[in-house]
Amino acid sequence: MGLDNTAAEPLIRVENLRKSFGSHLVLKDIDFAVMPGEVVTIIGASGSGKSTLLRCMNLLETPDSGHIWFHGEDLAADRVNINRLREKIGMVFQSFNLFNNKNVLDNCTLAPVTLKKMGKAEAEDVARRNLEAVGLSDFINAPATSLSGGQKQRVAIARALCMKPDLMLFDEPTSALDPEIVGEVLNVMRDLAAEGMTMVVVTHEMAFAKNVSDKVVFMDQGVIAEQGDPQQMFTDPQLPRTREFLARYLED
Amino acid sequence: MSRLRKIKQFVISDHRYVFLATSFVAAVGIWFSLQRRSAMSFLRGAYTVEVAMYWFLMAWLALSAVALVWKLTHWKGDAYQRTSPFTKPAAKAALRLGSYAVCAVTAALFVDRAVMGFLSVVSDSLSHDKNPSDFLSSIVYMLDKSYGIIGQGILTTVGLSVFGTLIAFVLAILLVFLRIQQVDRCDNDAVRFFKTFGTAFAKVYSTVVRGTPMMVQGMLIYFAGFGLLRNSGMTVSEIGKVWSTFVAGLVTISLNSTAYMMEVLRGGIEAVDPGQNEAARSLGLSQWQAMIKVVFPQGIKNAIPALSNELVVNIKDSSVLSVIGVFDLMFATKTVVGIYFKQVELYVVAALCYLCLTMVASWLLGKFAQRLSVEPQPLTSVSDMNATVGTVAGTGSSEYSLDKKKAR
Repeated sequence: MGLDNTAAEPLIRVENLRKSFGSHLVLKDIDFAVMPGEVVTIIGASGSGKSTLLRCMNLLETPDSGHIWFHGEDLAADRVNINRLREKIGMVFQSFNLFNNKNVLDNCTLAPVTLKKMGKAEAEDVARRNLEAVGLSDFINAPATSLSGGQKQRVAIARALCMKPDLMLFDEPTSALDPEIVGEVLNVMRDLAAEGMTMVVVTHEMAFAKNVSDKVVFMDQGVIAEQGDPQQMFTDPQLPRTREFLARYLED
Repeated sequence: MSRLRKIKQFVISDHRYVFLATSFVAAVGIWFSLQRRSAMSFLRGAYTVEVAMYWFLMAWLALSAVALVWKLTHWKGDAYQRTSPFTKPAAKAALRLGSYAVCAVTAALFVDRAVMGFLSVVSDSLSHDKNPSDFLSSIVYMLDKSYGIIGQGILTTVGLSVFGTLIAFVLAILLVFLRIQQVDRCDNDAVRFFKTFGTAFAKVYSTVVRGTPMMVQGMLIYFAGFGLLRNSGMTVSEIGKVWSTFVAGLVTISLNSTAYMMEVLRGGIEAVDPGQNEAARSLGLSQWQAMIKVVFPQGIKNAIPALSNELVVNIKDSSVLSVIGVFDLMFATKTVVGIYFKQVELYVVAALCYLCLTMVASWLLGKFAQRLSVEPQPLTSVSDMNATVGTVAGTGSSEYSLDKKKAR
C-alpha cells in the first residue's frame, strides 16, 4: 500500500478537536493524523462520533474548538476560505447525494466547471475517464435518479475524483447498499487505495478495514480508544472494549 | 384520439348494469317529454312522433323491469345466464340497438326541451324592452345590455391576476434568496451584515404582508401613492394618469402575492434533501453556487403546484381591490347592480365568471406543470457489468413525488 514512512508531514492533522451537539459532547479532544498515501479506516459503534469526526474534517460540521491542519492552513480557524480548501478534499456520503436535477456527466463536471478549475471540454474528458474507472461509462447521459444504489455511489466517487482531491473522505459509503452490491463499491475503493490516494474511511466493513487500510482507528464514546496496524488491531486488540466490539463483528 | 377510442370501447363492450343505466336515461327522457314545449321546439307539430317516443321509452322501462324480476328470481349460480331470454346472442344484439335508440330519443328530447327552451328564453328576453321578472330571462336581458361592462371587468381581473402573479413570482425569487441565506464561516463583516439584514427584511416583510388583509394593503398603497404625488405638486387629473387605480391594484396584488409565493418557494427549497447542499459544498461550491446550481432547481420544482395555485387565489382575491375603485369583475358587477337592482341574478353571474376563470387557469397551469416536470428517461444501456435491471428508473420519480408532498 505504498506507504512511505519517511514522509514526515501528515497530509491532514487533527488537534484537540472538540464538538458538541447541544449539551452532548460528541468529540472529546481528538488528536489524529493521516500521512500522504495512507488509508485510514475509522471503526466504532453507532454514536461513537466517527461520522462527526469525518464531517469536521471538511467542516460540514463546525468544531467547537481545536485545529485541523491541512496544506498549512487551519480549517477550523474563523474565516478561513473553506470553499477553496474543500476543493482538495473529496467526500462520499452514505446516501450518495448525487445531484438529482442533473445527469451523470453533469454531476461530475458541475464543480470543476463552476469553480473554473477546468474548461467544459476538459472537465468532460476528466469525467469520462473517472466514470470509466468506476465502470459506468455507458451511463454518462443517464439521469442521476435513474441509477441503482451501487451505481449512484460509484458516480459519487467519480464526481469527487473529478476535482482531483488530495484526500478522500468516505462516510459509511456502503451502509445504504444491499449486501450483494457492497462489493462493487468496495472494489472501486480498493483500486483507489492501490493508486495511492489518501483516504479516510468510516465503515462497518471489517474485511475492508483489515485488508485495505494502513491504519485502523477505533472510536468509542467520542474519543479514539485505540489505533494501530490493522493486523495487530484485529488479531490482538489491547482494550477490552475493542475486543468486545470486534468480537461482535467477527461473530457474523 | 385515445379518448375517442376509449369512448368507442365503452359503447361496444358489454356492461353488467346496462339495463340500469339505460332505464335511468329513459326515465330522464320521459321527464323531458312531460315538460312544456317552448316556442322554438321542433317537435311542436310532430305530436305522433313524440307520443311514439314516449311509449318507446316506457316500453324500455317495462323491459328493464322484466329483466330485473328475472334476475331476482333466477339469482342462484348461473341460472340467469342459462334461462333468461335476454342473454341469447340475438337478443343481446337487439338490446344493444335498443339501448342506442333510447339514448338517441332522450338526446332528441333533451335538445328539444332544454336547449331549444333555453334559446327561446334568450331570444324572448332579448326582444324585451324592460327587465323581465323571470330569473333566467332577467340575467339574459341584463347581460345583453351590459356585457361591455362585465367584459371589461373580466379583462381587468385577468390582467391584474396574471401580471400580478408574474411580477410576484420574480420578486418572490429575489426575496427567497434573501430569506434563506445563512452566514458562512468565511464571510467578512460586510457580507455578514448584508446577509443578516436581508434575512431579517424578508422575515419582517413576510410577517407584515401575510398578517394584514389585502383590502387594507390596497387602501394604504393607493392613498399613500396618491398623497405622495399630490405633495409633489401634481393635480388630481395628472395623478389619475400615472397612479391609476389599476396600477395601484397591480402593485398591491404583486406585493401581497410576493410574500405568499416566497413562503411557498422557501417550503419547496427546504424540502430538498440537505444532502444535496452538503454534496455541493463538499466539492468546494460556495453557498450561493450550491443554491443556484443544485438546490434551487429542485426546490422550485417542488413548489410549482403550490405556486400555480397562487394565480387561482389571485383571480379570486383581486375582487377585494374593487374597494379602491379598480374596475375588475367585482366592481363591474356592482356597477351593473346599481343600474338594475337585481343583486342575486348579477352576483350569480359574477360567481360563475370567477368559477370559469379559476377553472381555466388551473387547467392551463396543470398542463404547464406537466410539461415542466419531465420524468426521468428509462435507461437503455445494460452493458454495465453490475446493471440491476429492476431498480432502474423507479426510484427517482417516487422520491420526487415524496418531495412534492412535503412541499405542500
